[in-house]
Amino acid sequence: MKRPPRILGLVPASGYDALEEQRAKAESRAGKLAQQLEEYRANSRVWKTKAEDALGELRKAQEATAAAQKQFRQIEKQRDEHSRNAQKLKEELDKVRRLQQERAAELADLKQRLAESERDLVIAREQLMAIEVKLDILEGAANVLDGRTRELLTRRSGLGTESGTAV
Amino acid sequence: MEPQSDAGTAAQEPAISIVLTGRNDDHGVDFRTRFFRTLRFNAEQLTAYGIPHEFVFVEWAPPAQRPQLIDLVFDAVPGLDRGLCTWYVVDSRYHQALSLNPRLEYHEFIAKNVGVRRARGRFVLTSNCDVFLGRAVLDALAPGRLESRVVYRAQRYDLKETVGERRLEEAVGQRRLDETVGQQRVAWTDLEDPENLARPPRALKAPFLAGATGDFLLLDRESFHQVRGFNEIYRAARFGIDRNFLVKAISSGLSIVDIGGPVYHVDHAGSYHLAADAYAGRQHEAPWGNRDWHSRGVSYVNPPTWGLQHAPAQRVAPGHWFLDFSWDAVPPMVDLRGVVIPASRVGRPSPGRYAPPRSE
Repeated sequence: MKRPPRILGLVPASGYDALEEQRAKAESRAGKLAQQLEEYRANSRVWKTKAEDALGELRKAQEATAAAQKQFRQIEKQRDEHSRNAQKLKEELDKVRRLQQERAAELADLKQRLAESERDLVIAREQLMAIEVKLDILEGAANVLDGRTRELLTRRSGLGTESGTAV
Repeated sequence: MEPQSDAGTAAQEPAISIVLTGRNDDHGVDFRTRFFRTLRFNAEQLTAYGIPHEFVFVEWAPPAQRPQLIDLVFDAVPGLDRGLCTWYVVDSRYHQALSLNPRLEYHEFIAKNVGVRRARGRFVLTSNCDVFLGRAVLDALAPGRLESRVVYRAQRYDLKETVGERRLEEAVGQRRLDETVGQQRVAWTDLEDPENLARPPRALKAPFLAGATGDFLLLDRESFHQVRGFNEIYRAARFGIDRNFLVKAISSGLSIVDIGGPVYHVDHAGSYHLAADAYAGRQHEAPWGNRDWHSRGVSYVNPPTWGLQHAPAQRVAPGHWFLDFSWDAVPPMVDLRGVVIPASRVGRPSPGRYAPPRSE
């Protein structure tokens, strides 16, 4: 009569307790798994958001890259243009330098001629002063002599009238 | 007869000759009073400072109808030592014979040349009859202080016309000025009182230090003779001849310096300073001639007979000579070779620049 309860569908108390314990463990494990599942779901949402954000960033980066490439191409184009301009400017500069050298030579020549002209002007002015002074003297002398002559003639005329002599 | 100063023997040559010129013609109104009071002051101060000096006075073409200054001066200035004065009266015919401008009434600088030529002092000061010597000037005139080949100039302080009149009124009461010739006195306090200045003095500007130049030009006699005195070639103007002498001096290598103190001049009617505007617009009528002539721009070479060297001198009395007229003494009417361009010397100022005549 060792196994009659099993025949009757009964289990021994010790088995029941073991099964009960297994069930409690299973329920506990199921609860934990459900909790973990919920956590995983939450994490999944986070990661999904992050992934979406990353995708957005990626798109932006791709757009920026495209814009940078476009800008780079433009810069390259401008660089080429500037190079051409620089070359033109260099040529202009060379031309201006040549002209400047020519002008410098002309300026030195003009300065020398100006200095010579100034010297000539000073000399001319000095001579002019001397001439004007000499003219003053000549004019003064002429006026004095004119006065003396008139006086003399008047006196002679007076004497001539008295004596009847024609002058 | 060659005129000579009676102011001492050759061994007693004066340190300084003061050359003045004038005549009894009421130039500038009451000339005699102004002259005598100035002469009295200067003579007293020169004596007080112990400066061996002589006065050389040239009475140029004196009017025949008036007494000559030589006949008045020693009565008017009793303290004046006759032995320190030499007087040259110049025949009035020289004025006409030398004239290049009939409107000029006085050949001031040829008259001064007459005095410079005959002065005996180691140094010769040409000044005017109404210029008072200042203290600094008197200090500088002391023997041994002046240098050769240096033209000394002095600033002129113009004083109010009334300076000296108060003292005269105090001295003679209400008597007429004509009766008081020579009695008028001026004291240092009159001259040096800033309240008596008629206007701010004009500064002497380098290099020529010109300005009232005729009132004070001091130079050693030998250099004066080397440059042959003032310009006798250009005789059409009286104005600017003194400045022209400075141009000649620099051109001749002389230096021009400020003696260090002023001389004083009392304003009077007829002063150029006061009368210049009266001839605005009719310069040609002015009694000093054309003031715009190029006195700063030309120099001159006088004949060696400058200063009427060959004028026959008659001794009237000790220290009193009459220079009789002779055509031999009269320089040519025109001597264009005597007008020269001043030399420009290294390190010296350039001669004057051309300035066109001012439009009146």
